[in-house]
Amino acid sequence: MFQKILIANRGEIALRIIRACRELGIRTVAIYSQADAEALHAQLADEAICIGPSAAAESYLDMERILSACIAAKADAIHPGFGFLSENSKFADMCRKCGITFIGPSAEVIERMGNKSEARNTMIKAGIPVVPGTERPLTDAGKAKEAADQIGYPVMIKAALGGGGKGMRLSQTAEDFLENFKVAQLEAIRGFGDDSMYIEKYIEEPKHIEFQILADKFGNVIQLGERDCSIQRNHQKVIEESPSSVLDETLRKEMGAVAVRAAKAAAYENAGTIEFLLDKQKRYYFMEMNTRIQVEHPVTEMVSGVDLIKEQIYIAAGLPLDLTQEEITLRGHALECRINAEDPKKNFMPCPGKLGQIHLPGGFGVRVDTAIYGGCEISPYYDSMAAKVIVHDRTRQGAIQKMRSALGELVLEGITTNLDFQFQILDDEDFINGNFDTSFIEKKFQMEKE
Amino acid sequence: MAIFKSMFKKTGYIKIGSQPEEKGPSVPDGMWLKCSKCKKMVYREDVKEKFYTCPKCGDYFRIKAKTRLRLLLDKGSFQEWGTDIEEKNPIDFPEYEEKLSDTRRKTGLKEAVTIGKGSICGWETVIGVCDARFLMSSMGYVVGERITQAFEQATEEKLPVILFCCSGGARMQEGIISLMQMAKTAAAIRRHSDAGLLYIPVLTDPTTGGVTASFAMLGDVILAEPGALIGFAGPRVIRQTTGEKLPDGFQRAEFLLEKGMIDAIIERKSMREELGKLLRLHNQKAAETFASKASMFQTDPIEEKHSDKENKKEKSAWERVELSRSPARCTVGDYIDQIFEDFTELHGDRCFGDDGAVIGGIATLSGIPVTVIGQQKGKNTRENIRCNFGMASPEGYRKALRLMKQAEKFHRPIICFVDTPGAACGIGAEERGQGRAIAENLSEMSGLKVPVLSIVIGEGGSGGALALAVANEVWMMENATYSILSPEGFASILWKDGKRAKEAAGIMKITAKDLKELGVIEWIVPEVEPAQKKNLETITGNMKEHMLCFLEKQEEKSEDQLAIERYERFRRY
Repeated sequence: MFQKILIANRGEIALRIIRACRELGIRTVAIYSQADAEALHAQLADEAICIGPSAAAESYLDMERILSACIAAKADAIHPGFGFLSENSKFADMCRKCGITFIGPSAEVIERMGNKSEARNTMIKAGIPVVPGTERPLTDAGKAKEAADQIGYPVMIKAALGGGGKGMRLSQTAEDFLENFKVAQLEAIRGFGDDSMYIEKYIEEPKHIEFQILADKFGNVIQLGERDCSIQRNHQKVIEESPSSVLDETLRKEMGAVAVRAAKAAAYENAGTIEFLLDKQKRYYFMEMNTRIQVEHPVTEMVSGVDLIKEQIYIAAGLPLDLTQEEITLRGHALECRINAEDPKKNFMPCPGKLGQIHLPGGFGVRVDTAIYGGCEISPYYDSMAAKVIVHDRTRQGAIQKMRSALGELVLEGITTNLDFQFQILDDEDFINGNFDTSFIEKKFQMEKE
Repeated sequence: MAIFKSMFKKTGYIKIGSQPEEKGPSVPDGMWLKCSKCKKMVYREDVKEKFYTCPKCGDYFRIKAKTRLRLLLDKGSFQEWGTDIEEKNPIDFPEYEEKLSDTRRKTGLKEAVTIGKGSICGWETVIGVCDARFLMSSMGYVVGERITQAFEQATEEKLPVILFCCSGGARMQEGIISLMQMAKTAAAIRRHSDAGLLYIPVLTDPTTGGVTASFAMLGDVILAEPGALIGFAGPRVIRQTTGEKLPDGFQRAEFLLEKGMIDAIIERKSMREELGKLLRLHNQKAAETFASKASMFQTDPIEEKHSDKENKKEKSAWERVELSRSPARCTVGDYIDQIFEDFTELHGDRCFGDDGAVIGGIATLSGIPVTVIGQQKGKNTRENIRCNFGMASPEGYRKALRLMKQAEKFHRPIICFVDTPGAACGIGAEERGQGRAIAENLSEMSGLKVPVLSIVIGEGGSGGALALAVANEVWMMENATYSILSPEGFASILWKDGKRAKEAAGIMKITAKDLKELGVIEWIVPEVEPAQKKNLETITGNMKEHMLCFLEKQEEKSEDQLAIERYERFRRY
């Protein structure tokens, strides 16, 4: 087992990891930037090392400084948390070269799963359903049309080098394809200087369903059920829950088994997530694999009773999983609301600032993962997430009630948050009835934005 | 204030199943490098990926000869030469042998230069690379001998030579014998050059002393890596000798480019591709296909095919003067881009500077290597400041002449584009001999042994224009002008009234039509009006066809015949 772990992260996830280490009797080293000198993670860890200025590029993203800190502190492993360097294959490789265990999969797996087309091909080979689409990028409009006809409308036209919605167009029918293709291609040329395009089946009103995976060094892979993360705004998850109300037991088992197969196909090791899109006809398609712990991991922990961070550490230390698939039973229903320092009235603009009095909810089945305390500063340099409130109850209805009650207790003086926005979702009839997909927020709250 | 820090109970004392302390993590040797410029630690793999440059500040790292060859050559193509040359200690320098064997052991190199034959992008060449780790790559007997033998062998095998130079200069331990290497290598290069063969030195950091004063500066095309220190006397010596503070960037590659000493700065990542292109442009076989290629485009082009249809309104001379000066009119850069392929711009007069008013280089015209030279005007104020409104300085004319002589050596036809209000007028231009520079061009151009074509595309202002127009044929665009002086100047000299320029234009006979009648030009290039970007393709299409016909006609003529015809052409005026 590790003697000392360096946590290459900040905020609530750093705290979450430090807590797991404390329970395991492993000493911890926190790293912090100048802006985080008073951050809670730096205070709770056994040691804390300042690794640079506030800008993430010069601190939490500076691989050389983090490795130097690790070596100076004689830590034998690094937990990257999520974000920052957690899916950086180069960093994982550097750790290996320095004799430091990177708590996560190998550099090769990160690299393979991080490359969209390679991940897709790996899954196709393993017989995992993927969103139908062109295998190679196309530049010729005629050929693209042929491909689109074959895939079946509606289709999404995407720039190969695209991002941020640029060079992306939806084509509903064969009639509007060519026009949309040309517009998207023109945007791609202007934006990225490249005219190669992908055509992909457009999944209408899909659900975002992801499966939590644990895989050890000995080829044992288990899944801990799904999370429904369909409540998103601009691809940012807002509420997550487990289980999903749209999966029945048969489909859950089937998708879970496919997720395990996908992880095996990727030769995966450590904790990971297989993301699927689920369409109205309940057909599911592999979307991508996240090769790290995720923000919403607590909902899985609440229903499965498994401490995922501890499992990550065990696996990285070379221990076999001591859980079998049969031993995993999911109980009750868990919900997570992300509380962000942002203003929903100003298009969710981040609102960092100094907190005054705070009160955090508690009680049976209520968990708050946060690194804030009264009088602390929410820094403008990093993510605006202030807290995650997680509740667990026997039923979904009970969980929603508990969440409302818990959020009602939450007081964060001094900053603007999305708390009211969370209430609006929790009070929405469609949400309560489990009647929602990834377009939920866009559809429901478009009016108010205007 | 970290209020909780002292209150939290730490885990340090909790131990579960503790194990004996193992060897802690450590950074393996060489995983990180320190950039000597920005002083930051950088990951070796990143440095390698970026062709051995600093991923943080972009500075160039010095690289081993072996690495350099790997980056440049086609895989498996290298054959090393000159490994049997024995080391000497000509002046019995104490402990020199020990020093050499010690360096050999440390570097795994036999000497400071590695030389041999290989190919780049499929083009065979002799290539040599200096390695700074070997006694600062100083030039002693073995270095000089390897280079000399390589040039001799290249001359025999009719191969080009590329040398990656890097050196502290002559090797002190070999005394005067080291000095002699400068003359020896220079002489071998001369013979190689006389045989009509290409030599490209690439100057890398640092190239100084006796190497700069010999083989490094004797190339047909001299390239350098960004930021490389290049000079004869090193900066420290200059500072100590003169007591002067040296300006920023002094003796760096960029400084030399500005001072006209080198042709171009090439980034390491594109070096292989650029060298491959230069080798292709200078390949004998490519030149030999000249005739066959050109003949594909024979047939006499149709005169005035575009303008016939349009039934253009006759313009006054002054209207044409205004058109020829219009800032929206296409400039030489537009014509080069549209007509030629592979244009590789070469800079500098090798004496004083690089004149932005004259651009020149090597390109291909439907596959035929040609030298292209033109006077560049700007389209806005910033561009115009850089190219001095198309008014060339003596260094511009000297650059043009250098490129023409280079074309002659490699039997490339020369195509000139004339567009200038006149030669640069100023104190500096006079100090550096503007008159002499123009005169020399007139004289040297008359004797060139390759076909020369000049096209007046805008203003053909006086001697400044003529210095690029001693050609076998001179063409003019329909709305270009070519004159003894600007109409303003003409009016002011003859009538003491520059305002009567319009009137002057009318009687000076400066339009293409006038000059065709006077027999000063051979062909009027029809213009689809306006001669701006949107019509460029049509105009140049016609021009290109005529160029190919011109080249085909000249191909039948001997070198002497070309010079005689040029002599006769100007003899008749």
